[in-house]
Amino acid sequence: MSPATILLLVVLAYPIFYTLRISFAELNLGTFEADTWVGWDNYLAVVENDRFWNSLKVTGTYLILALPLQMVLGFGIAFLINANWKGRGVVRALFIIPMVVAPVVAGGVWRMLLDPLWGLVNYLLGFFGLEPLDWLGNPSLAMMTLVIIDTWRWTPFVTLIATAALLSLPRDVFEAAQIDGANWWRIFWSITLPLLLPIIAATFIVRWLGAVKMFDIALAATNGGPGQATNVINLFIYEEAFRSLKFAESAAMAMIILVLTMVLTGIFLVGSRKLEERQ
Amino acid sequence: MSALLSPIKKRRKPRIGRYVRIISGVFACLVFLFPVFWMVLTSFKMPRDIFTTPPTFIFAPTLETYTSYFFHADVPRRMFNTVIVAFGAGLVSIFAGAMAGYALARIKLRGAATIGVLILLSRGVPPIALAVPMFLVARNLGLLDQHITLILAYCTFLIPYVMWLMRGFFKALPAELEEAALLDGCTRMGAFFRIIVPISMPGLISTLIFSVILAWEELLFALVLTNRNASTIPVAIAGIAGDTVNGANWGALTAVGTLTVIPVVIFALIVQKWLIQGLADGATKG
Repeated sequence: MSPATILLLVVLAYPIFYTLRISFAELNLGTFEADTWVGWDNYLAVVENDRFWNSLKVTGTYLILALPLQMVLGFGIAFLINANWKGRGVVRALFIIPMVVAPVVAGGVWRMLLDPLWGLVNYLLGFFGLEPLDWLGNPSLAMMTLVIIDTWRWTPFVTLIATAALLSLPRDVFEAAQIDGANWWRIFWSITLPLLLPIIAATFIVRWLGAVKMFDIALAATNGGPGQATNVINLFIYEEAFRSLKFAESAAMAMIILVLTMVLTGIFLVGSRKLEERQ
Repeated sequence: MSALLSPIKKRRKPRIGRYVRIISGVFACLVFLFPVFWMVLTSFKMPRDIFTTPPTFIFAPTLETYTSYFFHADVPRRMFNTVIVAFGAGLVSIFAGAMAGYALARIKLRGAATIGVLILLSRGVPPIALAVPMFLVARNLGLLDQHITLILAYCTFLIPYVMWLMRGFFKALPAELEEAALLDGCTRMGAFFRIIVPISMPGLISTLIFSVILAWEELLFALVLTNRNASTIPVAIAGIAGDTVNGANWGALTAVGTLTVIPVVIFALIVQKWLIQGLADGATKG
């Protein structure tokens, strides 16, 4: 227990405490020390910053679009690839591949695939008689682009968890329901879904913990643009801190995000416990 | 198996459904693999084969991009750094995290449940909230751009991750395993290393592999805490992808991307059984 406790205190607890301290101070850019106490000034500046609110909105939009999409696609594809045949193991193993592509590589490669001029995706869309789309340059499409790339990277993760979950479902319950003449929809709605609910909740939480850290893909694919359209919160704070050197304000933003994430994670955890207990 | 157990099901379900599932499952798999395939393909193209309409599928493959960018983007040093940092962070985390996970799974502590929730919460700490102070502290201590700094930074997300996975793994082991050894006078520590570690090897190894991969592809801390000596491959890729001055350098992007991804893919495919098992356990146990 002790090595982990010490390490976590040094690298996790201490930096959080340090961030808290800077967030109430003015950082001297000559010495890089937080020397002057300024109270809530940094927080006030953050709350009045429109770009901070925009960035929160962008992050929220991304989470609301991406997470449900990845859950539904992940479980759907798991159902498909669980069909019993010789190649099942191979297909499942191949699904590991997108999952281990570094997110920054995924962002870069998709940027290439979605290029308005030379990109392969627009070329393929042409076969369906569709006009080329400006995936990265159109502010309202750019968010979709971010969601598509993220979904490509993370759906296999959900799929692999879901394949195991689907295989562990008790067979006899389904057979009994079929003998009783229950139809496909009824079986899905009153047996499969309730049985899967705890694992769906657990997968959602793990995915949520990853998604709130969204940074690499946005940096490589859109760099927050066009304008501020895909400037997710981690990217925004990163730029404020390390490009604009507003360390104190960034620390205040980071604290706000930290608290927000903790509260939401806590709510999801309580929700998933409730689901488990109901079983 | 299913045919033996459920003759009724088999008779009722039309065979077509199964074929539709197989075909669409394989199709979905191909769609998901395509971007990786395209990346590898593009990395073997000459620039004149990259920027074409329609895109080129058949071309004379060349190693031109690899030979010209391998040294240009400081790839060998970055690759070396990435290996050091990923394995260093992975090993430190598995050592510290597995022991802590074992303690949480076995030792009856008053606040064990609370600690469990805290670990999970700590996985939600936004890395940017750590990157800012780490940069400032490392700068003042003269620790910027060193392997050890990055290894410690990666412990922030790897240790909680390992603790969480291994706690679930150890909980599923029957307590009788160590009880006999403890009665014979073995210490907790001794029982852990002599009995628990050997039988947990598959779980430990799959968790280690996951940790190494997570560290391998990390970008934010690497961007903030390194600049030359200890800089990693993802930083190089972010630089190439975000280079708007020289325009899209897809050759370099795909070549360096392929070099980053292929070792991990081979690694992951070799141990895919354990990886899938580890994923499933991570979500169901705990």
